[in-house]
Amino acid sequence: MAATLWESELTAMLKEHFGDRIPEFSTYLGQDFMVAQPEAVISILEFLKLEADFDYLVDITAVDYPKRPERFDLVYILYSFPQNERIRIKTRIQDGYKPQSAVGVHLTANWLEREVFDMFGIEFAGHPDLRRILMPDEWEGYPLRKDRSITDMDNRWVKENLGIESGQ
Amino acid sequence: MRKFLRTIFLIDLIEGLLVTFHYQRPKYMCTDQYPQERPKVAERYRGAPRLNNNPDNGETLCIACNLCALACPEKLIVVGSERNEKTRRKELTTFTYDLSRCMFCGLCEDACPVDALELTQDFELASYTREGAIWDRQMLEDGPKPTKYEF
Amino acid sequence: MPDTFLDSTELVINMGPQHPSTHGVLRVILKLDGEKVTGTECVIGYLHRGVEKIGENRTYQQFAPYVDRMDYCAAVSNGLGFCLAVEKLLNVEAPPRAQVVRVILTELNRIASHLIWLGTHCLDIGAITPLFYVMREREEILNIYEKYCGARLTTHAFRIGGLEYELYDGFEAEVKAACDFIAPKIDEYEQLLTGNRIWIGRLKGIGVLNAEDCKQYGVTGPMLRAAGVKWDLRKAQPYSGYEQYEFDIPIGENGDTYDRYLVRMEEMRQAIRIVRQAVERIPDGPIMGKVPKVIKPPVGEAYVSIEAPKGELGYFVVSDGTTQPYRVRVRPPSFVNLQSLDKMARGSLVADLVAIIGTIDIVLGEVDR
Repeated sequence: MAATLWESELTAMLKEHFGDRIPEFSTYLGQDFMVAQPEAVISILEFLKLEADFDYLVDITAVDYPKRPERFDLVYILYSFPQNERIRIKTRIQDGYKPQSAVGVHLTANWLEREVFDMFGIEFAGHPDLRRILMPDEWEGYPLRKDRSITDMDNRWVKENLGIESGQ
Repeated sequence: MRKFLRTIFLIDLIEGLLVTFHYQRPKYMCTDQYPQERPKVAERYRGAPRLNNNPDNGETLCIACNLCALACPEKLIVVGSERNEKTRRKELTTFTYDLSRCMFCGLCEDACPVDALELTQDFELASYTREGAIWDRQMLEDGPKPTKYEF
Repeated sequence: MPDTFLDSTELVINMGPQHPSTHGVLRVILKLDGEKVTGTECVIGYLHRGVEKIGENRTYQQFAPYVDRMDYCAAVSNGLGFCLAVEKLLNVEAPPRAQVVRVILTELNRIASHLIWLGTHCLDIGAITPLFYVMREREEILNIYEKYCGARLTTHAFRIGGLEYELYDGFEAEVKAACDFIAPKIDEYEQLLTGNRIWIGRLKGIGVLNAEDCKQYGVTGPMLRAAGVKWDLRKAQPYSGYEQYEFDIPIGENGDTYDRYLVRMEEMRQAIRIVRQAVERIPDGPIMGKVPKVIKPPVGEAYVSIEAPKGELGYFVVSDGTTQPYRVRVRPPSFVNLQSLDKMARGSLVADLVAIIGTIDIVLGEVDR
């Protein structure tokens, strides 16, 4: 990605507070983002909410890069009403790591994290109610991972509940 | 006082009823009586597909370039062609279009370079079997012939 | 026996996926104490079709028809969001003529979506008449869509880089006629409903969500504006030429259901105002920008969001340099707004719950994708 360096007083404040837990600040096509260490994300979210007025969590999502050792890219998108500014926070986590849940900071994160768990299998520690939200509760497998193709299904569930051999 | 009178005499409800009764006149009816009158659809309507023929000599306009099959999101067009040795060009033999999975998005019509494949204004496409929805070349050139009912 | 029959334990009732008032296949499990609701839980996923997974297996142009089918009441807005996101990745901009026509069609879509909201909301509460009237108004708008791009509901009207179809003859005249037809009808709806004591009794004070809660829950769209926050993405971060038009942002005071009704009615009027301004100034020129036939954006990612009729609709597109996107994430406004149902519904009656579900304005196609 042809990203360039992003510098502003927000990044200066963050660098001073967090030091090298945020190794990268970049901007691409006019959109600013930062890459942070996985353990620091919740404290960054709290800091941004209290000090920098980023009070609206727009989205939490994940991207799967199966060939990397740190497989998932967890993305948080934040927006600030007073400053009209939108930033992204990305972390790289590996399969099996349980990041801290953001429900304590923003209440929106409840269903958004449930969906990331449902689709990718990333469990969030400290989430009040981590269950599948879009797929049926007894489904096995995580649909949006890259090793499942678009025609893969949980045939056991289909046979039990729908009574047909397979969905295809 | 005015508010009290409004409440007692149900003025706000009567104002609403005036609107409803205003539309009781028969000239405000805007229902289409479907089987008797077929609605007019627009010229650009994306309905049933049709393979066009050249009006002069009746041959098909399709040059078997396969662009429509590549453009389709559902991959439901299969174009069969054979190479004619005399004119060194490809000629169309079979053309299969699976209408049961088509979402009528119009990408195949946009992709065709010679305007052979066109989405027409036919929307009466029902059939009794699932196989009846897979159209071959003959059906694509003729078009669906829905049964006309007399009343 | 009489003791256990009359003791006041809580009743758990299922407001199932098949229900006339839940606007689709939404299942709400209610905990009731008599008629009062003490807790709700939403179960969704009955309409999940895997649109994000499909996005990883189709090219960019092939994915555009799938996007219409998420929020099927406002299909044109969905298409606009996706085209803007891919255009941002490619770093092209649509030409001015395409931008003005996009604004006209999107604002007409906003009116159409709010009209459906009005019809179904009134039907849930018990006023059956507005449902028929809104269908009559929607006919005008859907006829314009049919003449322009060929389909009424799942329009696929925009292409990446601009428009595909040139405007047909008589487009401006028909759009102006549609505006003149719809504008007095909005006043008629107000005459039917706004002062009506039954309407006020059913809606005032129900489902209150104040501004602080809205920001905490991430609620956007007319719900946020009814709580008093004057924020609209068309003014805050304008896209597709919205900064050239004059329009107001209606806000409410209390954040209850009645304010949301007033905000949406006023938004319809402002949308007509934008359409009237835009129709005057359609410039001449090309309708498609400089976009290659095979779209391969450079490696990168972008997040673009627009003000859909239901809230902030965002597209996060990750590209890896090939013709198919690596990941398409859709941030659905109805999904995030539906989380606040639990907060709003506690302490209300079951009949109010129906009004609250109607006022969030959800479309299950977007909640489940």
